[in-house]
Amino acid sequence: MAPHSPGTDQIDTLLWIGFVAATILIVAINAALIFALRRYRSERGSEPQPATSGRHTQFRVGAALTAFAAAILVLGLIYTDKARETPATDGAGLASARSQPLRIEATGQQWLWRYDYPNEAFSYYKLVVPVDTTVELDLVSTDVIHTWDVPTLAGKRDAVPGKVNHVVFRADERGVFDGQSATLSGQAYAAMRTEVEVVSAEEYESFVKRQRSDIQAAQDRVVSLIERGEVP
Amino acid sequence: MTRPPGEIVADGYPRKRPRWIELATSADHKDVGRVMIAAALGFLFIALVELLLMRLQLAIPENTLLTPVAFNRMLSLYGATAIFLFAIPLALGFFYYLVPLQIGARGTALPRLGQLGLWLYLAGATVLYSGFFFTPTEAGVNPLAPLSELAFLSNNGVDAWAAATGLATLGFVLVSIDLVATLRRLRAPGMAWRRLPVFSWAAAICSWLMLAIGPIMLAAITMLLIDRNFDGIFFADGSGGAPLLWEHLSWIFFTGAYMLILITALAAIAEIVPAFSGRPLVGRGTVIGSLAAIAVVGTLAWMQNMLTSPIGIGWMYYAMVMSLALIVPFGLIFFNLISTMVGGSLQLRAPLLFAAGAISMISIGLASEVSHSMVAVAWRLHNTVDATAATHFALVGGSVFGGFAALHYWYPKLTGRTMGETLARISFWTMAIGTLVAFVPLFLAGTDHGQVVDAYKFFSSTEVGTENLIATIGAFVLTIGILLTLANAIVSRSGGAHAGHDQWGGDSLEWFTLSPPEPHNFDVLPDVRSARPMQDIREAIAHSTARAEAAPRETQPVA
Repeated sequence: MAPHSPGTDQIDTLLWIGFVAATILIVAINAALIFALRRYRSERGSEPQPATSGRHTQFRVGAALTAFAAAILVLGLIYTDKARETPATDGAGLASARSQPLRIEATGQQWLWRYDYPNEAFSYYKLVVPVDTTVELDLVSTDVIHTWDVPTLAGKRDAVPGKVNHVVFRADERGVFDGQSATLSGQAYAAMRTEVEVVSAEEYESFVKRQRSDIQAAQDRVVSLIERGEVP
Repeated sequence: MTRPPGEIVADGYPRKRPRWIELATSADHKDVGRVMIAAALGFLFIALVELLLMRLQLAIPENTLLTPVAFNRMLSLYGATAIFLFAIPLALGFFYYLVPLQIGARGTALPRLGQLGLWLYLAGATVLYSGFFFTPTEAGVNPLAPLSELAFLSNNGVDAWAAATGLATLGFVLVSIDLVATLRRLRAPGMAWRRLPVFSWAAAICSWLMLAIGPIMLAAITMLLIDRNFDGIFFADGSGGAPLLWEHLSWIFFTGAYMLILITALAAIAEIVPAFSGRPLVGRGTVIGSLAAIAVVGTLAWMQNMLTSPIGIGWMYYAMVMSLALIVPFGLIFFNLISTMVGGSLQLRAPLLFAAGAISMISIGLASEVSHSMVAVAWRLHNTVDATAATHFALVGGSVFGGFAALHYWYPKLTGRTMGETLARISFWTMAIGTLVAFVPLFLAGTDHGQVVDAYKFFSSTEVGTENLIATIGAFVLTIGILLTLANAIVSRSGGAHAGHDQWGGDSLEWFTLSPPEPHNFDVLPDVRSARPMQDIREAIAHSTARAEAAPRETQPVA
């Protein structure tokens, strides 16, 4: 899973740090365990020694473990803080999103994501965003808790009814990125997927404009059908 | 009328009742503990069946073996069974059986309370599985509101879940009250807290922990029931309720229960390792202090499960500090357990084998949790199968490997028989291979491909087919290994080699009683003078025997 947003770069780095830390702990504990089990068997003539580990040893081991935990804590804080930074929109990005991020509302509902763009256009399932542009998703839910998760673009966040949660990302490449919902939300949870299509700023502009006029046309048609009495 | 001399008068004595009535009506801590342990192991079997059904569904992409609803029901029942009906009662069952024996008491302080606790737990189990007569719960392992609210799951399943886990949790709280009272009031003369065996210390820590987290869960469950049945709004958004409240309350309980299971397992291992190393536990005080620290700090890290929720970044950092702080107490315990082996004279019998397996599996699970503790990593790995794998390594390591170590170690005390050693070895290696094959692929599927938890199917486009197929095979191997030990336990009850009262040369007082112990536990309450009372007793016997042999026989024995 190659990262395609500055925040996910940091998450990837921290994931590697976590992997190394976990490997060190697993190897150290299990190597010591296997060594002890092989070397000190009574069949091999090992005699029990009196317990020698005094307060100093305990203190030293405790201090070493504290230092290890503190190092991981510091690294975790540094990279989490970097991952939280809001990147600025780049040269090829949307001009109107220079000063502040492009805000799009993402609504989780059983079992579909709905995206509302600033110009009142909306789309279901597929989110279209401009490349190199800072996008801030406002996550809300109309029913149960959902988790928005497109791992190549951003860390996952929950959409909790009654609350607004935020995801910030800046896609660095055009393409389609897959995602899914990551909290059990009922029967069709596994099918609750989404995709993010990253396009150029111009294509984005024309997409939301077309989407807006299509929706308006559809609404006008429904209204006219009702007025003509063809729809009850 | 005169009776001939020597006749035994039996009139007026109640007839001996059948064994099962004795067990079902007894408030003796040994009977209650035995039923609790046996029931918990039975539910382990049921949980395995549910796990295998889920793994079969996830063996190939887009499988249609189970419907989504059936899968969600298996998932929810599996979670409730594994945690509420297997892991917690197994831990409490061992505590309840052993604590009076270890502290030199003739029973518990409040036996009827403990008996009620057992039956509330069994009533909860009955309620959960009576769900099959209408509709089992389908809201997940932790039924997050609002999904668990009436508006989204309008059948009775969640009500059954809430009633079942509520009854069981109330039972655990009652058992814990009895344990706390027993540990405070009924210690034998000289059994000061500083001389208490590590396992009894763990019982005190876990009982207090359950007294802290149990009522919180009971409150949450009551609120959920009020929401569902009496138009409550505790967890409903928009009318003053808060879905996040359920997350906080339930995660406090589940995180505390996770710690309780690990504390129990590590304390049992801390009894087993010295007995099979031939030397006392290194750093006894540190180990006990670390167990207490895990209970407090671990439970305070509950927001570790909520790092993707809309909570402030400050709370996320708080959760990270708390979970990373756990490295110190867990590390110290592992260090002292292994230090006890180093320089010992190890007898690699089944209890030590399972204990070593438990240390290994728990270390893999907890080390993976270290990376999950870092906030940004949780944003990637939260609710992926990587988290499932880490949790299962820690809990299978603690509850199953640790539980089986305890079972092999104390089985002679429980039944008067020893479990078959060969079968134990075969079972251990099958389980060890099964656990690794079942859960290591999930680490890969979770980190590399972000496969999400709890989903009834995965798509072939996500490229996790191989990992899931291997995991399913591993789950079957693990199950075979577990079934071998369960079969061993059943067969050895009548077919195992007879055990002595002091089967392994343990240091604590349960080995002073007969195997199985008399109803009153001790004919004579021992006078405790150190943290190793059985060692003192063995030395005293050796001393007096030596003196008797050295002294010349002055008188002939009376014929």
